Order: sequence, then C-alpha cells, then structure tokens
Amino acid sequence: MENVWLVSALWIGLALLASLVSIRVGLSVALMEILFGFFGGNFLGLEVTQWVTYLAGVGAIVLTFLAGAEIDPKIIKKHFWSSTSIGVMGFFAPFFGVMLYARFALGWSWPQAEIAGISLSTTSVAVVYAVMIETGFNTTELGKIILAACFINDIGTVLALGVLFANYNLWLVLFAAATIGLLFLLPRFIPWFFKKVGNRVSEPEIKFILLVLFLLGGLGNIAKSEAVLPAYLVGMFLAPFFLEERVLAQRMRVIAFAILTPFYFLKAGSLIKFETLVSAFGMIAVFLGIKMATKITGIWPLTKAFKFERREGIYTTLMMSTGLTFGSISALFGLSNGIINQDQYTILVSAVIGSALVPTMIAQRWFQPKKTFPKENWLKW
Amino acid sequence: MFKKILVGIDGSTGSFKAFDRALEMAKKSGAELHTVTVEELPRNPEVIGELIEEKELKNGVAKRAIIQLQEKADMKGVEVNSSIYAGHEVKTIIEFISAEGFDLLVVGFMGHSALYDRVMGSTCQSLVRLAPCSVLVVK
Repeated sequence: MENVWLVSALWIGLALLASLVSIRVGLSVALMEILFGFFGGNFLGLEVTQWVTYLAGVGAIVLTFLAGAEIDPKIIKKHFWSSTSIGVMGFFAPFFGVMLYARFALGWSWPQAEIAGISLSTTSVAVVYAVMIETGFNTTELGKIILAACFINDIGTVLALGVLFANYNLWLVLFAAATIGLLFLLPRFIPWFFKKVGNRVSEPEIKFILLVLFLLGGLGNIAKSEAVLPAYLVGMFLAPFFLEERVLAQRMRVIAFAILTPFYFLKAGSLIKFETLVSAFGMIAVFLGIKMATKITGIWPLTKAFKFERREGIYTTLMMSTGLTFGSISALFGLSNGIINQDQYTILVSAVIGSALVPTMIAQRWFQPKKTFPKENWLKW
Repeated sequence: MFKKILVGIDGSTGSFKAFDRALEMAKKSGAELHTVTVEELPRNPEVIGELIEEKELKNGVAKRAIIQLQEKADMKGVEVNSSIYAGHEVKTIIEFISAEGFDLLVVGFMGHSALYDRVMGSTCQSLVRLAPCSVLVVK
C-alpha cells in the first residue's frame, strides 16, 4: 500500500482499538498495542515504513526520557545501600543467567546472547509503582527501597545497551564528552531558560528538550551506541526539575502517548512472527523462567540481609522480575542493528511480555503483603 | 441493629440510591456511616506519570461524587467518613470490611445485560458472595 494516509489510518486505527480494549480490560495500552501490532503484522499486512520507523524511534527516545525524569534522587540517596545492592543484583543476575543460557545452551553468538541478557535484565518501575499504589506500599520505607532499586536496575540495562555495542573510537569519545558536558550544564541552564521562554503556546521547552535528545541520539548513532542511553541520562539529571514541573512532563506525555509510542509498540508487536511464537513457545517459557529464577537467586538473599520479612522479600523479588518497555527497546535495538534475527526477536519480546504479566500475577495472588487502609485517606464530613 | 455501615460509591445512580438508603438507616439507628470508592488504575503503565495522571483524574470524579453525598448527609445531620483507595473493586472492599469491622455493606444494583453478567460476573454478585458481613443491594 503506497497511500501514506491510508497506511497512517491503519496504524492509528489499531492504536485506537488498543486504547479502547485497554480501557475495557484494565491492562496497559502498551501491551495492547504490542498485541494489535502482532495481529496487524501477521494477519493484516501492517507495513513498517520508513516514517513509521522514525516515529517509533522518537517514541522510544521520549518514553525513555520520561522514565528517566521520574527518578527521584532523594529516594535513592535515602536508601542508597539497600536499593543499590538490590538494583545492581537485579540487573546482573538475569543478565548473566540469560546470556550464558543463550550462548551455551542455544548456541547464540556472544552479541546475540548479550542482547538476550539485556532484554531480560530489566524491571518495570511503572508496573512496580502501580502495584504499590494498590497495596498502599508507595508511602512505606519498603516501597521506597523497592522503587529506588528498580531505578538502579534500569540504569544498568540502559548503560549496558549503550556501552556493549558501541564502537570504541573517537566518535564514542566525542559522544561521551558531549553527553557528560550536557548532563552537567542542563540542570543549571534549563530552569533559567524555561523561566525566560516557557509557558508559550509554541512550546519552546519541549522543542529544546527534543533538540538535546536528537543531538545526543545522533552522536550516539555515529558511535554505534543507542539513542535511549543519553535520553535516559538526560531525563535522570533533569528529574528534580521535572518532578516540580509536572505540567511540562504531562504535555510531553500527551505528545508521546498520542502519536509516538503507539507506533513504537505497534511496530514492536508487528515484528513478532506467529510461526516462531508457536514453534518456540517452550523456549520462550524457559527464557521467562530463567529471568525469574535469576532475579530470585540474586535479589531474595539480599532482601533477607536487609531484614525484609519472608513474604515481603518474595514480593519484592517478583515485582522486580517485571519488565516491558526497556526489554522491548533492547530486543528491537538488536533486530534493527542486525544483531539478532526475527526469530530470536520474537522469542525475546514474547518472554519480555510474559515478564510484564506472570510475576505480577504470582506476586499478587500468593505473596501480596496485607493491604493497608491508612486512616489519613478518610475524608470526614 | 447494624453499628457500622459501609456504602460502595462508584459515582453511578445506583450507588447514590444505595447511599440514600444507608443514610436513612444510619439516621434511624445512629450507626457509623462510611463510604468507600475504589479506583481501578492501569495495571501495566509505561511511566509513573501516566498512573499519577489517571489517579488524579479519577480522584477528581470520586471527590465530586463524595461532595454531593456530603451535602445530603449534612441535611440529615449524619457524619460520614469517605475514603478512596486504588485497586480491584471487589478485593479492596472485602479487605476494607475485614480491616475495619463493618457489619453491613450497602451497594447499588448495576443493570448489566444477562449475557454480560453470565460471562463477566457482576461486581454486585461478587460482593454478595464474598463479603464477610451482611450485604444490602439497593435497586
């Protein structure tokens, strides 16, 4: 189909359907978009054009930036040792476990095994936070430690993706220097600059953020690194500012969720091959099992060391076994750069999707700590 | 007589009817009157901001409903404790009843189609089945 508007209508129509279904069933729109993308790619001939790839790429960058901009440095500072050790282990245990399985049991090449390790090393901060709001744990110290550990875990994933496949040459030095320089300057420059030019209909703030992200993403591309690395780091360094400026973050989210991330998740789903999904179902289950088992092996003993109750420890471990966005970004990076093939991509993304659902279901069904009903929530009339 | 009454409020006409009935009962018997609103949030959000935004949106709707109920309770001179929690509607209400020791749950009847009720089951049915106290369904 060459008619760009009809192709657009098909993509945005699927995005709309995904939104409607997600509202109805109460599951994330991202999961639904992946599902509809899978359906479109396998049965409707959904075409991944160049402009779709561009919009999807921008979607991944902006989404990563927004995720980085939610890292509250105060929480990490307050619970530095417990959250760092749990977060670091939460990254390394599945990374090595999955990578070694892919390399030695399945015979994947080292770069392919590394992509597998990175894709399944992730955790989903937002999923963990959603569960915490439901249980009331977001206000407790335990909840804050878990959340901080998830942030650390994700930093590990993004760093690995940005560093492992880079070309170690002068471009990488330039990219690193530009990133470090901007990370140092932006938290000082942006509050001043936005105060001068902000709150206009022409949205100069958002344009400036996009300029920085594209510039660093471009330099990263030349160095064969990944554009989401600087996006996450810039977000992280600007987090104190963005946590205050919630309207700006909301406006960026509106843009991202309306016309950028649907293309990303639909594309991610459209590249999942139905035949591989069926034929490699067992392998997908094994990958998911290894992710969960290594997270348990790595994190659970630490929760004991930090004097978590048994139930809370298992709950924390299972929460940290979740993952979706960074897992799919890592697998798609591997596919787009020719590191893994479409069958391997299908296996990895399916395991990532499984990790968004299975650990949360097990945690909530069997290990959920008692829900609290704080009296502060009561409004007396 | 009942000493501690809980009304489930979801902003629907049915839940408002349930509140009216509970208010009458509380006025007559002097029972404590509570309302609970449960917000179902997205299970797998992409970013935390998405969740916070959704919660604020739902909080706004719930608070508007609660203010209307407050006006009714004020007119009858009955004190009401209202609370809003996030989670699965049925599970949260059942746990709240157990935690706070309510002896009556009052809910509005939701008029789904017979097919919907058969396939999905209704919140109302689940509450009647699982609540650890008496349940009054107001039609």
